[in-house]
Amino acid sequence: MSIGRDGIAGLVLLTISLVLLVQSFQLPSLPIVPVGPGFYPAIVLSFMAAASALLVVQDVVKHRAQVQAGVLDAPRRNYRLVVIAFAIAAAYVALLPLLGFRIATVLFVAALQAALDPPKSTRDWALLVAIALGTAAVSYVVFERYLLVLLPRGAWTGF
Amino acid sequence: MLDLLWHGLVNVAQWKYMLPLFAGTFIGVIGGSLPGVTITMTVIVVLPFTYGLDPLAGLAAMTGVYVGGSTGGLIACCLLGIPGSPASIATTFDGFPMARNGEPGRAIWLGVWASVWGGLLGALFLVFLTGPLAAIALEFGPWEYFSLFVLAMAMVAGLAESSLLKGLISTAIGLLITVVGHDPIGSVPRFTFGSDFIGDGFPFLPVLIGIFAFAQIMTDLEKLNLPRGHAVEALTGIKLERFSHLKVNWEIFRQPFQLLWATIVGLIIGILPAIGGSASSVMAYDQAKKFSKTPERFGKGHPEGIIASEASNNANVSGSLMTIMAFGIPGDAVTAVMLGAMTIHGIQSGPLFISQNPDIAYGIYAAYILAHPCMLLICVVLMPLMMRVTSVRMAVLAPVVLVLCVLGAYALNNTMQSVYVLLLFGVIGYVLVKLGFPLAPLILGLILGDQIEINLVRAIMTDPNPWLFLTRPISGGLLLAAVLSVGLAIWQHLRHQKRVIGEEEPDF
Repeated sequence: MSIGRDGIAGLVLLTISLVLLVQSFQLPSLPIVPVGPGFYPAIVLSFMAAASALLVVQDVVKHRAQVQAGVLDAPRRNYRLVVIAFAIAAAYVALLPLLGFRIATVLFVAALQAALDPPKSTRDWALLVAIALGTAAVSYVVFERYLLVLLPRGAWTGF
Repeated sequence: MLDLLWHGLVNVAQWKYMLPLFAGTFIGVIGGSLPGVTITMTVIVVLPFTYGLDPLAGLAAMTGVYVGGSTGGLIACCLLGIPGSPASIATTFDGFPMARNGEPGRAIWLGVWASVWGGLLGALFLVFLTGPLAAIALEFGPWEYFSLFVLAMAMVAGLAESSLLKGLISTAIGLLITVVGHDPIGSVPRFTFGSDFIGDGFPFLPVLIGIFAFAQIMTDLEKLNLPRGHAVEALTGIKLERFSHLKVNWEIFRQPFQLLWATIVGLIIGILPAIGGSASSVMAYDQAKKFSKTPERFGKGHPEGIIASEASNNANVSGSLMTIMAFGIPGDAVTAVMLGAMTIHGIQSGPLFISQNPDIAYGIYAAYILAHPCMLLICVVLMPLMMRVTSVRMAVLAPVVLVLCVLGAYALNNTMQSVYVLLLFGVIGYVLVKLGFPLAPLILGLILGDQIEINLVRAIMTDPNPWLFLTRPISGGLLLAAVLSVGLAIWQHLRHQKRVIGEEEPDF
């Protein structure tokens, strides 16, 4: 029995639903309320478990038909940029409380621009740096000075 | 009512409201004209700027974004042959051919004027129908509310393009997110695993921003360095030809029925939960083609196609606003963000919203009406700038938008926790999109989850008889409609599959 992407997603969701469903039955009930705190989650999770199981079944049937018809070679997309973008965004979020909003934002905007469209000339680099500095400066002024939002300060830099 | 509307118009005409409205409309037009930037993303970007504003000023800015974005999308449609925002998709069918035929000015201004008239016609319905709808909703008990929310979710899940099953699972995921944290009745912690991070549940707006903005940007990045799939030649760097605004308006009003029908289609689609502007644009286009005396000219630069699509997507905004104000259900993702913003300001949307907050309710009507002349003025003065904006690179846009998303999450309560939630749901949203799970049902589940639970428990606490959900006429009718909606979706899916198999048979 072979399984496709939908089937794997269905299995993961089914597992999550069942684990949480068991937990929902263990939630303490309240004397004044006729239904406990686990009542509604149990309905949602039962529904999700049933739908996920159906998705697995549907995928197995469909996948078998596709294997027989030989239509599984879908063109692959390049996800390199997406992975890099997520990694840079994660690094930004991690560095925000350490470097502070201003430094982290300059680095993030510059790094992501460079990753998405590598600069080829001095002019490109200058533009990249200007956009990075401009984004950090404008958002800092608008949010911290005008909207009075205290943006994160860096634990390492104090800035 | 007209007194209140007049009061609302005079109120919003003050600088403290007019400035955010104008700025929001401007940003909406620019955001709408950028291919790959949706109205939802634009309103998310504007959101953090509204936290510090007066509630009406913030909502006026968002209404401006909504109206501006619904129109701005047509510029990319006409000049690049790709929709600036999904709500303008059907404008591409005739706007681009008309522009290629040497009439880009006529194509763009037909769209702009049709947006203005469609939007203002929609405003009539918004002003006069929201109150009666809210009055109907006032008759609802917890049984009816529960059933109404179930119907909303069934409809949205049923409309999922990929599969009904995935739509339903997506809804369940949205509902599941809302049960994490303390339960709304007894405050018992649920599924927190002893973690402080999720002890209070997931804050709504960071989840919404993460799911929508990240999924959208990352999906766009996949195509960044790939050659374009279609071989159309974009009309960048051109100047608009000389034409008469009067003539353009005559073209629109020559067939008032077309304009009115497109407006009504947009309005109805807007009222239905979470369907969105793209569906209204395509449906109005389809209807215009069916009713047209010259259907063969559609797709070749026919003005009727542009008028139908643009009038409809702006009227769609008024429909979405009606749903949020009368029932507290967002008409689409943009109104979902507005709903979140209202919650931040302590405003409860729903049937009591208009009677409890008449200043804000009529202020929103006024902002919606005034956003149209603002949008027209912006288009008249800044059209050359907007035509240049369509060529801004994604490599520049993506980091700036992501910074604003992070700010939007952080500024909500000045904690990094919201930013971590944003990133977590950014990943989850992207993964779900790649697995073919539609996001609209998830968002609706996320928004309605708490209300569904509260109304379900309230109904059971009032009377433990579960049959009341079926035997109370309105509640039973709504649940029946939900079942029919899912049944219809299954039937359509099976019919589609049968047709696909039928089409494939000759190959074997």
